[in-house]
Amino acid sequence: MSLTGLYVARADSLGILFSELRRLGYVIVGYRVVDGVLRLEELDSFDEFAHNVEDIQSPGKYSLVSGGFYRHGPDSPKRFLYPPTLTLFRVSKEWVASTPTYEERNLAFFGLKPCDLASIKVLDRVLLGVDEYYTSLRRNLVLVVENCTSPGGTCFCSTMNTGPRARDTFDLAYTRLGDKLVLEAGSELGLRLLDVLEVEPIDDATYERFEVVMRNASEKARAGFELNGLPEELELRIESKVYKEVTERCLGCANCNMVCPTCFCFDVLDTPLIDGSAERVRVWDGCLNFTYGQVAGGHFRPDLWARYRHFVLHKFAYWIKQFGTYGCVGCGRCITWCPTGIDLRETVKKVLRGGKDG
Amino acid sequence: MRKLRVAVYKFSSCDGCQLQFLNLEDELLELSNFIEFALFYEARRFVGSGPYDVAFVEGSISTPHEVEVIKKVREESKIVVAIGACATSGGIQALRNWANEKEYKLYVYPRPEWIETLKYAEPPSKYIRVDYEIRGCPVSKEQLLSFVLQLLKGKIPTLPVDSVCVECKRRGNVCVLVARGIPCLGPITMGGCGALCPSYGRGCYGCYGPMIDPKPEVLNACFKELGLKPKEIQLLFKQFTNWSKEFRRVIEEYE
Repeated sequence: MSLTGLYVARADSLGILFSELRRLGYVIVGYRVVDGVLRLEELDSFDEFAHNVEDIQSPGKYSLVSGGFYRHGPDSPKRFLYPPTLTLFRVSKEWVASTPTYEERNLAFFGLKPCDLASIKVLDRVLLGVDEYYTSLRRNLVLVVENCTSPGGTCFCSTMNTGPRARDTFDLAYTRLGDKLVLEAGSELGLRLLDVLEVEPIDDATYERFEVVMRNASEKARAGFELNGLPEELELRIESKVYKEVTERCLGCANCNMVCPTCFCFDVLDTPLIDGSAERVRVWDGCLNFTYGQVAGGHFRPDLWARYRHFVLHKFAYWIKQFGTYGCVGCGRCITWCPTGIDLRETVKKVLRGGKDG
Repeated sequence: MRKLRVAVYKFSSCDGCQLQFLNLEDELLELSNFIEFALFYEARRFVGSGPYDVAFVEGSISTPHEVEVIKKVREESKIVVAIGACATSGGIQALRNWANEKEYKLYVYPRPEWIETLKYAEPPSKYIRVDYEIRGCPVSKEQLLSFVLQLLKGKIPTLPVDSVCVECKRRGNVCVLVARGIPCLGPITMGGCGALCPSYGRGCYGCYGPMIDPKPEVLNACFKELGLKPKEIQLLFKQFTNWSKEFRRVIEEYE
């Protein structure tokens, strides 16, 4: 939700925003180029923030070239808000349990794209008030979002209604239009950040350009299916042969689960230590892993195709029942980072096309 | 508490896996409060007789004599744990299974008739029941320690069995296959190493062997797209765990 409507500032105002957030004591997390890939990392200065670089993404392929507009890399906010490895509690040699106290940190995501903002909204439904670590970070989390003027090769945010323009939940949203920056505040803090910049209300010509750019971007990020009735249509076709067909190219490696910004499944490991104590550690898990469906007494998804089907249907059907939102935000990471380039968009389309028995 | 009586055996192998016990330099003293190495030729001269609570077995079985010994190990030990690529799949020396061993003997030994070998170098599980496997070439000392500590706590020991990719992503590595086009066996290889090789920008060599329900033929299609020739693909599989069932299938296909 916009508190202000749109404002315009000079493009180099971004650096000022960055410095202001630092001054306010925030730990800033944004994209940095590391070894030829965009990584989400803590940034000490605006110079480290990735610029003048573009990610070329297609099914099973990722590379960076210079210039242009970038979307994202393999990391999503999940890596920070719901870390891959987390000690839940320790038990001392004398059998006394203690939970680690999580350090209070004021985190600010800087330059996240709307799909990743949407992923936080999804995780909120699942984890907020449930997961202590997530909740403690989320409470003070600042979200500075960059609207996506040029979606990439595996993006489908317009279909999922999560982009390319951020509509709510951000503190500040910005859009780069040549030498101009279009800004929108979504919170009190966002307003405060606007105050440190020289801004003017948006003029008609810039607004028109903004609208055109957003509209074009929106056209670029379509999957070729519609959300209308999708959960019901997919559930109706649960017996579709398409899942088996697609899975012929699936490795069962669970890369899709790991890079998905909303996959929140975990495994719990009890680890005895040499000093006689022990700890319980939570690690990322995923439904494509063989052991995921393995329980005492048996296995409820021993076939890989059933595990893949669960991944698809959870994102597009079951999630709605569980959490009242789709589990997929259309970021396309599962497509890009799948070693064999299995395309979720194609799977859904094929299932829909195949009819009830297809 | 009674100490766990442990025997560490080696068969056809390089000693690298049992050496990992000794590489636990910071933990070994503490560990010796809980376990007694009753038999560990590489570590001590003293040899305590069986039965043992646990036998850690390194190496593959490649001679008739070794068949006899491994059977005795089974009889004497409550729990038998196969450690390392050799003891879990045959290891590097199983490469000779793909060649004519009689011919090799002629080239290598002045008196080949003195050398008694089996036709194949194979893991102990071919001859005896093995209770647990710890994979790797060599095994990771952290896994070894974790296994022993779990046993000491009376827990059924568990080790990771999902793909190397899972560990790679948890660790925050960039996929060498997707981002750099480097052939990597990670998507079909069992984790547990903490994605060691990809952490240094190299493809996985598959030293932990196939994971559960691996799909090498699917991965090979990727390798072909990267421009690898069939012989090159075969060589990727003809390494540490070449004699494992699933890798063997690939090697045969490309033979």
